[in-house]
Order: sequence, then structure tokens, then C-alpha cells
Amino acid sequence: MPHLDAAHRFARWLSRSGSDADDVVQEAFLRAFRGFDGLRGSDVKGWLLTIVRNCHATALKQQQRRAAVPLPQEDDEQFSSAPTASTPDPESASTADDDKRTLDRLIAALPQEHREVLLLRELEDMSYREIAAVTRVPIGTVMSRLARARAALRVKWLQETPGEPRAVR
Amino acid sequence: MQCAEHYRVQAYFDGEVDAVSAVDIERHAERCAECRALLEHLASTRERIRRDLEFGAAPPQLRARIARMLDQEAGVGAPRGAARRPTLWRNRPFWLGAGGGVGAALAASLLFSLLSPSLSFPGPLLDEVVAAHVRSLMPEHLTDVVSTDRHTVKPWFAGHADVSPVVADFAGQGYRLVGGRADYFDHQRAAVVVYEHGPHFINVFTWVASERTFPDLTTRSGYHVAFWRVGNLQYCAVSDAGWDEVLALVRLLRDAGERDQR
Repeated sequence: MPHLDAAHRFARWLSRSGSDADDVVQEAFLRAFRGFDGLRGSDVKGWLLTIVRNCHATALKQQQRRAAVPLPQEDDEQFSSAPTASTPDPESASTADDDKRTLDRLIAALPQEHREVLLLRELEDMSYREIAAVTRVPIGTVMSRLARARAALRVKWLQETPGEPRAVR
Repeated sequence: MQCAEHYRVQAYFDGEVDAVSAVDIERHAERCAECRALLEHLASTRERIRRDLEFGAAPPQLRARIARMLDQEAGVGAPRGAARRPTLWRNRPFWLGAGGGVGAALAASLLFSLLSPSLSFPGPLLDEVVAAHVRSLMPEHLTDVVSTDRHTVKPWFAGHADVSPVVADFAGQGYRLVGGRADYFDHQRAAVVVYEHGPHFINVFTWVASERTFPDLTTRSGYHVAFWRVGNLQYCAVSDAGWDEVLALVRLLRDAGERDQR
């Protein structure tokens, strides 16, 4: 199944919870399969990620409708610990893990429209044009959101890790 | 206050500017400390994200769940044999595959080809190339790289397609090279080279040949479609130009391709 990994990564960052992401991806593949003829361009990955994004939006709306019952807050614990690999020597591992957790948290805290362009660009290595197609905004908006996401991340990172020497102001 | 160039610097960093602008921006960054710092920041952020944020593969349970779901969706309880390229029914009409192994192969191939619109019988693929040709005629869809210089077009494919096709300018013979594009066919990123001949455009698709065979010449929706192979590459030319005009280009390309092979 091509692009399953990318779909899963993207869903995970959109929904910020592993189990929700799984459901979103499954739904997206079903829609992709049924709507197979809906693919008009050549960009299969972008097409699939667009469907993932739509499925996530739908799921979110359903959740909000059911929101009389308070939702379990995004479980930071499970979220940030899942991807970490083996734990080597505790000293260096803990700083590296701290950095990872901080990065996870800062990116998760970005507004979705900033987070998604940043991740599509940096993790999926998509072009502005491809990102514009997935997020349904003009390329100029992709550029400005990307710039804002990166700037926000920079500011927050500097606030969170004051001890670390940085070449930037 | 941010330097007015910061969008351009970002676009440069993201590989979104052409070579001329890139030189321009590099020169600017030499003079502008702010933009140099921005570039450093962009690089370190990217590095950190790619190093620390990669989630790796999707969980195997999810993969299995989706495979099961798509099996059901395809209406076949057959186990998933999708990794195997079905060749069994390659030469039969697909409606023969109502039962047994052929049905399973059909389902498997549906899964396999789920996300690459290429398909294992020539009919849909033929429709695909014609659709791609028609789509390419819409404004701004013709080419991703515009150049009459084959030394620009050919290397562009290295990063954008799975094959390296023959690219030549036959302006002398009336077929002007317009540019290139990548399109998805037959599970691959096919290379598309676009030629202009009088009022007509001719799209020449190239992908790695499979065992599948195509008619040499055929007409679909009023467009002329010619297939040929050189070595392990499958070529396909589509155009609304007349047969003679299409075939003249095919001959030129075939000769050039055979020279390339030697």
C-alpha cells in the first residue's frame, strides 16, 4: 500500500492521537478505494493526503458534536513516547529525549494550518504547489503560513531551551 | 522588522526558485546578516524535525486492518496476494476472471494498483494517457519544466521521474521541444516530453516496460496513440496531429533512442 506511512504520519499530526489517526487513515483508504476515479492529477500522494485531511476534518466535526461528554484530552504521554526508540545510556538519552519531547509539544501546539504546511514541507518533502493542492489554499498562503510556522517554532524553541547556545538572535 | 527578502530566502531554501534567482538570493544573503541567520535557522529546524519527528512506518496492525477492509470492499475473501504482480490474466479479457484464481488475482491487482492509476489492462491505461494528454493542453498543465534545451529537460527528469527518456529537439524537422513533465502511469512516475508541431502538441510518455503489450497504433477519443519500445523503455506518443506527423516524430525518437542504447 503505497503512501500508507505518509498518510499515517500526517493523520497522526493532524489528530494528535494515535488511535484517532488509525481510524482516519482507514477511512481515507476506503474513500480512496471507492473514489478511485476521483484521481485526476498525477500526484497520488497529494491526492491521498487530501483525503486524509478531509477525513480528519469530518471526524473532528463529529467529535465536537458529541462534545457534551468531555473529550479525553490529547494524551501527551502516549503521543510523545511512542516514537522514541531504544534507550541507550540514560545521561545523553534524557537530553535528547527532552529535546524530542519539546519539539513534539511545540509543533503540536501550532495552529493546524501552520502545523500542516510545516510537516508537509519538512517531513513529506512536498513542493509549495503540492502543499497548496492538499490544503486548498493559494501558493502565496502556503508561503506565508510556512514562514509563520517556522518563526513561531523558532521563538518558542528559544524560550524553552534558554541554556542552549544558539547562533541566532 | 524582517528583511523584505525573507519570503524569497525561504523559497530559495525550499528549492522553489530557478537558478537565476538563486544566485541573486545567495548574493543578497552574503550582504544581509538577517537573511544569513534565517537560512541557518531554516536548516537547523529542518534537520531537527527530520531527525526527531520521523514516525517511521505505520503500525502493522493498521496495515493489516486496511488490507482486510479493502479485501472485503473488493468483494473477495481471498487472502492478499497483492505483492505479486498478477500476470495470470494478462492476456485474457478481464471478464473471464469471474471465478477462482483469476478472480483473486483481479482483486489482488486492484489492491496493488489501488493508488497508482495505471491498471493492468491496456484499455484504462490507454484512457489514462489520452486523459493526460488532454489535461496537459489546459493552461499551465503542459509542462513542469519549460525549456527548449534538452540539457535542461533531461536532467530535470532525474529528480522527478523513474526513467530517463530520450530528449531531443527536432526543431529542424518541425518538432520543437517545449518541455517536460512527470505523470503517474503503470505504478511509476513516467516522464513526459512535450513537442510542438505546427498547431499541435505531441506528448511523449516514457515508463519502464512491463510484460504488458500494447497495440502499435490505435485511436482513442479521436487522438492518435502510438506505442513502441526501445530496450526496457516503453514509449507512447499521443496527439491530435495526423498519423503521418505523429509517426514521423516516432521514427525520429526511435532512432535517437536506439542510438542512446548503443
